[in-house]
Amino acid sequence: MGGKVTCTLGEIKNRADFIVYWGGNPAECHPRHFTKYTLTQKGKFVPNGRKDRTMVLVDIRETPSARAADIFLQIKPGKDFEILTTLRALVKGHRVNEASVAETGLSIEQLRDLADRMKQARFGVIFFGMGLSMTRGKHMNSAAVLMLAAELNAFTKFVTMPMRGHGNVTGSDMVMRWSTGYPFGVSLCRGYPRFNPGEFSTVDLLVRGDVDAALVLGADPGATMPQPGIDHLARIPTIVLDPKVTHTSRLARVHITTAATGISAPGTVYRMDEIPLPLRPALVSPYPTDEEVIRRIREAVAKKPAWAQRPAAMAPTN
Amino acid sequence: MITLTLKERTAVPLEAESLSPDVTANLSCDAVRALPVLLGKHPYRVDEFFDVEGEAGDELAIRGDAGNVKWIGRGMTRGKIAVEGNAGMHLGAYMKGGTIEVSANASDWVGAEMSGGSIHIHGNAGGQIGAGYRGSPKGMTGGTVIVDGAAGLEVGMRMRRGIIVVRGPVRDFAGLQMKGGSIFLLGGAELRTGAWMIRGTIVTLKEVPLLPTFAHDYDGNPVFMRLMARHLQALGISIPCEPHEGTYQCHSGDSAVPGRGEILVWRPVG
Repeated sequence: MGGKVTCTLGEIKNRADFIVYWGGNPAECHPRHFTKYTLTQKGKFVPNGRKDRTMVLVDIRETPSARAADIFLQIKPGKDFEILTTLRALVKGHRVNEASVAETGLSIEQLRDLADRMKQARFGVIFFGMGLSMTRGKHMNSAAVLMLAAELNAFTKFVTMPMRGHGNVTGSDMVMRWSTGYPFGVSLCRGYPRFNPGEFSTVDLLVRGDVDAALVLGADPGATMPQPGIDHLARIPTIVLDPKVTHTSRLARVHITTAATGISAPGTVYRMDEIPLPLRPALVSPYPTDEEVIRRIREAVAKKPAWAQRPAAMAPTN
Repeated sequence: MITLTLKERTAVPLEAESLSPDVTANLSCDAVRALPVLLGKHPYRVDEFFDVEGEAGDELAIRGDAGNVKWIGRGMTRGKIAVEGNAGMHLGAYMKGGTIEVSANASDWVGAEMSGGSIHIHGNAGGQIGAGYRGSPKGMTGGTVIVDGAAGLEVGMRMRRGIIVVRGPVRDFAGLQMKGGSIFLLGGAELRTGAWMIRGTIVTLKEVPLLPTFAHDYDGNPVFMRLMARHLQALGISIPCEPHEGTYQCHSGDSAVPGRGEILVWRPVG
């Protein structure tokens, strides 16, 4: 398997001359991305800014981001994995079946052209959005992008970066990574981390009903999860820590109002390139911070006896 | 034979890798009752969830809806487990020998990273049959998994050797990153069959959409299919292989890796 070959946005600003956005709409979802990091800025090795860079947008429809792109490739929905796998073959000069390439919405010439441009770039980057990672194929679509970029490093420098959003999701991944070794889908039931997305990831646990309590922190699963998951959240005791009323807080048993991090509480936010940025509060809040609430819950729980009585006579484990 | 009857389905999954003939073979009924199982993070005794009867032996029967009981038969090397009802995730994971039979449905990761023995699911199975766990270089390295119903995603992911037979339809990514072994899809598959396969054989009796990175190789009835058909006949599965019945269209790939795997699509006469 590949793994992620990546870099910081600063390096992209100073070096990237070939930029691909795949399944994302940065013009509307990350409006400062073009101007601060990827397209218009002049960098050390791209002194003319936009003129030195080529931008490709791959998406299923023409979004406002297409206006900023040099090349817009409109693909058929759900064909990302096929195209990325074909590109991997073309980059290495292997044959592909041209008849089934046509079903992806792109011609073989378009893909050859893209593969050639990728190989000829001095420093390429693929940003991929939820149009790729949340459609059919899911984690394998992301894996296909990561593998393509990793293999392009046989020819030139190529990196990938997911277009993260929705608050501090990168921060959650990062903290899980340095504390358990895995970014998400971790179970600590046995006292050591076990990683198995599909078994231990939040959405799967909720949809299958494998949990009997939930603590929701800095997220609104009530707005984004599939309906069976939301129904399960309403069934079990759910505790929400959030500065505002959300879909999840409406169905939770307990909603603790906390100070908004970055606005009225200090903290650290991780940028999408995994750079930690300290945040200073601009306002004063009467509410406690998330950290303080969690710490007080932990102290209160530590004082209580174990929630389940351990059986008196346990057989020795063999 | 020791019979365990689940009293009622637990609210959260039960992790019960102690339910394996290797553990129970030399134990008395009382000792089996005292074996540990994990509910959430706490260990409990088996008899808090199961009624245990019978005498020690190589055989184990599990009755009731055990669809929430994970890791049954983990790493077993001998004996037999008969599950009369559903079975939970990781059934027979890492098993080296023996047999497991499930009368109803099983969940994900059936026979994950197994190296021997056989598993027969009479109902449907979940995804990742015989697969390698996340981050692990290879999946099953031997043994047989037979599923009479349908199966989920990533059947045989990264498998190295062994046989998987699914009578019903399977979902996407069958044979993902396969490194060897054989998958027989009697009910066809959805998208991306054989994606990123390196070696190995996928035989499908129904048309499947192929990735652009697979190339048509030959049409014919390869000799090994006759040997395979005879082997599978003994397991109660009939695979067509005679020229008067039809031919196999062989596609090789996945050229993205690049790999030398093959997908054989059955084309009956007429």
